[in-house]
Amino acid sequence: MKFKISLFFICVLTGFMFAIQFNTAKEENILTDSRGLWDLREDFLAEKELEASLIQEIRQVEQKIAKYDNDKSAGRGQVLSETIEELKKEAGLTELTGPGFSIVLTPAYEFIVPGQNDEVFISPDVLRKLINELNMYGAKAISISGQRITATTTIREIQGETRVNDYPLRSFPVEIKVIARNSETAKKLYNRMQISTIPDDFFIDNIAVTVTEPEKEVTVPASDRQIKTYFMKTVKEERN
Amino acid sequence: MMWLPVLGLIIGVTLGLLTEIDVPHEYRNYLSIAVLAALDTFIGGIRAQLQNVFDEKIFVSGFFFNMILAASLAFIGVHLGVDLYLAAVFAFGVRLFQNIAVIRRVLITRWDQARKNRKETEK
Repeated sequence: MKFKISLFFICVLTGFMFAIQFNTAKEENILTDSRGLWDLREDFLAEKELEASLIQEIRQVEQKIAKYDNDKSAGRGQVLSETIEELKKEAGLTELTGPGFSIVLTPAYEFIVPGQNDEVFISPDVLRKLINELNMYGAKAISISGQRITATTTIREIQGETRVNDYPLRSFPVEIKVIARNSETAKKLYNRMQISTIPDDFFIDNIAVTVTEPEKEVTVPASDRQIKTYFMKTVKEERN
Repeated sequence: MMWLPVLGLIIGVTLGLLTEIDVPHEYRNYLSIAVLAALDTFIGGIRAQLQNVFDEKIFVSGFFFNMILAASLAFIGVHLGVDLYLAAVFAFGVRLFQNIAVIRRVLITRWDQARKNRKETEK
């Protein structure tokens, strides 16, 4: 009798482990790599490009270090203020002019019936998607209705209104200005926008999207918001 | 006699499939080796029962001890960079085959014996 009970429990345990093992082994099989030669080549190329850009970045930083070292002996200040300028530019605290285009959002009046759906709402999700897409394809600076988009910009809906940096997008047309790295990227970005699905996403909300031809000089305003640095500390100097 | 272990296995498998526990990738080796150890002890227990040398203490302690030993072997192997769990897989695999062979022999002799007995009684 004792044999039976212990055997029974051990059988339950064995079966339990068996089933778990079976479950996990089944999942493992799905994770096989089925990419073909050309897919792999493409991935390789992308990684290669990344490597090249990283090497370039490292070189720039090294140059800067060398400059700092020079600067130390010949009275500091020059390079440091240059760096501050650069960082301000990167953070979006300066006005920027460069090749780019603008995207204009207007209500699609042919679909708007007065008294029924005359309140046009710009979805923050679509707006965020648009910004992600622009950044993905080489945008350098973006502003929405004069609000510069920075790393800390908020785009959200507050009580039925979409707000960018707490500035409500109430009046149409809403103009989104985009500056690209150079005129070539601007053209590419423009072409991207032509085939993008984002106009369709806006169209669902009865908003028509017009993308203007690339221009040589588009000006994006500076961000007027202060960057809050609650969680930053100065780095202690390393002693060699 | 035979239905209880089978029932246990069925209950265990259904429990395992129903709970859908997912073992992290790093621990999959341990689980597989624990399953192998459990299977080995289980078959060993059946063999011992058939040979009338079954001892419950040995059976239960062997079940857990073998599992822990196999898992710790795999653990040490991972940290030493040697696939030590293969040693456990090999040992359990060989024992499994041996035990199953013994069970087969015992069952065949019993079956033969039973047939002979029946023939003698018929005569």
